[in-house]
Amino acid sequence: MSRVNLSSVTKHYGQTVAVHEFNLDVPDGEFITLLGPSGCGKTTTLRMIAGLIEPTSGHIYFDEQEVTYLPPPARNIGFVFQTPALFPHLSVSDNIAFGLSVKGQKKEMIQGRIDQMLALVNLSDYGKRMPAQLSGGQQQRVALARVLATDPRVLLFDEPLSALDKNLRDTLKYSILDLQRKTHKTAIYVTHDQSEAFAISDRIVVMNAGRIEQIGTQTDIYLHPQTPFVAEFIGANNSLVGKVTQVKDTNETSRVAVMAEGLTLYSNGRISLKEGDSVLAYIRPENIIILNDLEGREYENVVEGVIDRVIFEGATAQLRVDVAGREFRADVSGSQRLTLIQRHGKVRLGFNEVTLIPVSKDVSP
Amino acid sequence: MKNVLTSRRLGDILSHAYIWFCLLLFVTPFLALLGYSFSGPQGSYAIQNFQYVFGSFRNNLLWSFKISALTLLLDLIIALPAGYALVRYPFPGKRILFSALTLPLYVPGAVIGIALVLTYNFTYHMITSIWGLVFAMTVGTFPLMLTPIVVALKDLPIAFEEAAQCLGATKWQTYWRVVFPLIGPGISAGLLLSFIIVFNEYLVTLFVHPPGVTTAPLRVFNLVRTAGLLPTTAALAVTMQLISFFAVLAFFRIFGTRYLKGTYLI
Repeated sequence: MSRVNLSSVTKHYGQTVAVHEFNLDVPDGEFITLLGPSGCGKTTTLRMIAGLIEPTSGHIYFDEQEVTYLPPPARNIGFVFQTPALFPHLSVSDNIAFGLSVKGQKKEMIQGRIDQMLALVNLSDYGKRMPAQLSGGQQQRVALARVLATDPRVLLFDEPLSALDKNLRDTLKYSILDLQRKTHKTAIYVTHDQSEAFAISDRIVVMNAGRIEQIGTQTDIYLHPQTPFVAEFIGANNSLVGKVTQVKDTNETSRVAVMAEGLTLYSNGRISLKEGDSVLAYIRPENIIILNDLEGREYENVVEGVIDRVIFEGATAQLRVDVAGREFRADVSGSQRLTLIQRHGKVRLGFNEVTLIPVSKDVSP
Repeated sequence: MKNVLTSRRLGDILSHAYIWFCLLLFVTPFLALLGYSFSGPQGSYAIQNFQYVFGSFRNNLLWSFKISALTLLLDLIIALPAGYALVRYPFPGKRILFSALTLPLYVPGAVIGIALVLTYNFTYHMITSIWGLVFAMTVGTFPLMLTPIVVALKDLPIAFEEAAQCLGATKWQTYWRVVFPLIGPGISAGLLLSFIIVFNEYLVTLFVHPPGVTTAPLRVFNLVRTAGLLPTTAALAVTMQLISFFAVLAFFRIFGTRYLKGTYLI
């Protein structure tokens, strides 16, 4: 129910910079995920939004109210931890009622709300049980009911599913999304699991080493990565270092020719590049097509290579192809994946799409 | 079927026998005392000796309980915040501070006694009062109250407190509704250990007790010194032993042994 705004939020621990100049605007009701590897600062940022950590500098706003230095009880938030953290000495009902009872509400008035919350997470008959009697998934659902009971302005999730097994994770993440949609609450979710982020978020903030790499929807990030980190962290990618040799501008796009490690590649870029710019060229494995001798005319980018390995994965086959001394990964599905298991040796590869990301001169491949 | 005396079974029997032997060793003095407390004139058995417990010994027992209660209360008031500060707040010199706080355990009772007499009488010119005694007992038992609380707090994941705060509880509310109940067993361990020590303490009491206050162990000590070992004295001693014994039994029944680790008593 609240907009969340972070303005130049920074956190230093002595000499270490955990979070650097974090700027983000989260509209009311959006489900946004902070995605990144361990140690990238996503949990630190989340805890600053919650008030469990104080930023070194910067400002945090909920709607128009500045909450930067407010302690957590004053912020009216809901925080779901990695472990359910249900109070072991209280029953499920008392756990759910906790947020309301500390504000002084009477048990009789709370009862209705408790029942409502239990129904919301499909645990209606579990009120009298103790947390120790519940499974991990059930505990996490009670934790969800507990934070929703106080009708918070913002929901914060710190990798709530990483302690659960895979099947549970898959079902529970949609339950979380479902609850968020039903209650119309702004949600900020932290995870390192890319598929989890992609499944439930409206937008994703990709973080690395305390900084934001890119903010966008799933398609933005996957199809149009803006930094080398995003291109490599999200999905799999093949990368080459190169230099722009020619730029032809048309109305919507520019056709760019790149010389990269002995190969000439063509890309229809959206970003403005000049001749002589250093770039990284990225080709996703699923965008590499195995061509037979007759095909290839419709592809701008055709290269020749030798198959090193074929890894049959079932629905797809992963190929490792040696092209001009570089190992490329190509993912092949359809009937081709079956014929390739037998055949090794020379292939012609066509690239469906080449993504270019400009880099400063001193980047290493 | 033959009962084969293998070396392993022999080992089992010997270890069990050894344990029972040790038990007997510890219990025998008490049993002797128990037997003696029942003896009447000309070798008959009498329970009249125990009437003294409710008669002239009653005040002594009451004083012991009073001093214990006051000491435990004071211990709690200091140890609860101290334990929380030591575990939850970062500050330099924690280890040294904690070691210093456990020093009273390693100072002989007589040394503490003399030091206290000097402090109370000569430095502060205080007349001996019940509070002097209580303070002395508090200092002596403080490490035993602090350590189980610290252990219990260390075992308590901080996520509980953070969850409570995010749900809207102030620090104070978090402490009383979440932390305090969850370290209850740790607190009880501290109470138990301190109670046993204070209830049975006589050496420091000897130095600093006010004239009108004679605790039970002190009474026993005085009686033995003046009148020798009477059956009635034995009866008082047996009663004291039983009170301590039941306190320990009750604690283990309710809480088990978990919260006494780190106190070097278990």
